[in-house]
Amino acid sequence: MNVLLTGGSACGKSTYAEKLAVQFGGYLYYIAAMQPYGEESERRIEKHRCMRAEKGFTTIERYTNLKELTLPERGTVLLECLCNLTANEMFDDGGAGENTVSEVLLGIESLEKQCDNLVVVTNDVGSDGGGYDRLTMDYVNTLGEINCRLAKRFENVYELICGIPLLIKGELL
Amino acid sequence: MILVIGAIASGKKDYVRSLGYSPEAMSDALDDSHPVLIDLEKLVDADPDNCMQLLPDLLKKEVVVCCEVGSGVIPAVRRDRESREATGRLCIALAKKAERVIRLVAGIPVVIKS
Repeated sequence: MNVLLTGGSACGKSTYAEKLAVQFGGYLYYIAAMQPYGEESERRIEKHRCMRAEKGFTTIERYTNLKELTLPERGTVLLECLCNLTANEMFDDGGAGENTVSEVLLGIESLEKQCDNLVVVTNDVGSDGGGYDRLTMDYVNTLGEINCRLAKRFENVYELICGIPLLIKGELL
Repeated sequence: MILVIGAIASGKKDYVRSLGYSPEAMSDALDDSHPVLIDLEKLVDADPDNCMQLLPDLLKKEVVVCCEVGSGVIPAVRRDRESREATGRLCIALAKKAERVIRLVAGIPVVIKS
């Protein structure tokens, strides 16, 4: 079973994703793509870590090259989030650069082969009219393309609104 | 309490009028004399750090209207990020307690919770 969760900032995606992953059960992996880059993000990471505490998740920090990741056992994987993974691949030294779309998609395919359930969190970065510099627009377009291609083949797609899942595709689990 | 959300100019206030509330019943100030609070996102933006304190008074309103501000590129300015996050978190808390959550899409009310 796979689920793609989208929505804006602070719409309840993380909380819902964790609930869903726990519901799927089995060995629980949390793959964190957010790199600490100062006090604000460290606070966010700490907040997410606390939210997962005692729920039994094994946290794996993975910022790029997801396709080389090997999971020790099958189970349920929560990948959070594509907005960070995409930015890392595009802009980090050693990231995939212009091959970001295919690398991110290959990484997710590799996870799917190694687990029973996959919950992927992304972000709705294209909904504010754009008008940013070229680099930012490249990022918006790249993440948009990844979202479209994943949503096309994923069984379930939900949009989170004020903490409530809205069914876009598939069924609410 | 009914929570009404949606993008800028998506028809939120027209929808509230269709529920039977006049423009005079709506205010962007959190006082006792208006059953409808509009522009919640501006109230949050005035003091994002303490916005959760607004929750009890907001729950006394018949209708709360808030613009969806969390979509799009994450702002480069920290204050803007915090305001957006605070608005989102407050709306999650409101939606939990609300009898109904309605999202306006191009003027059409979509029931998110009822």
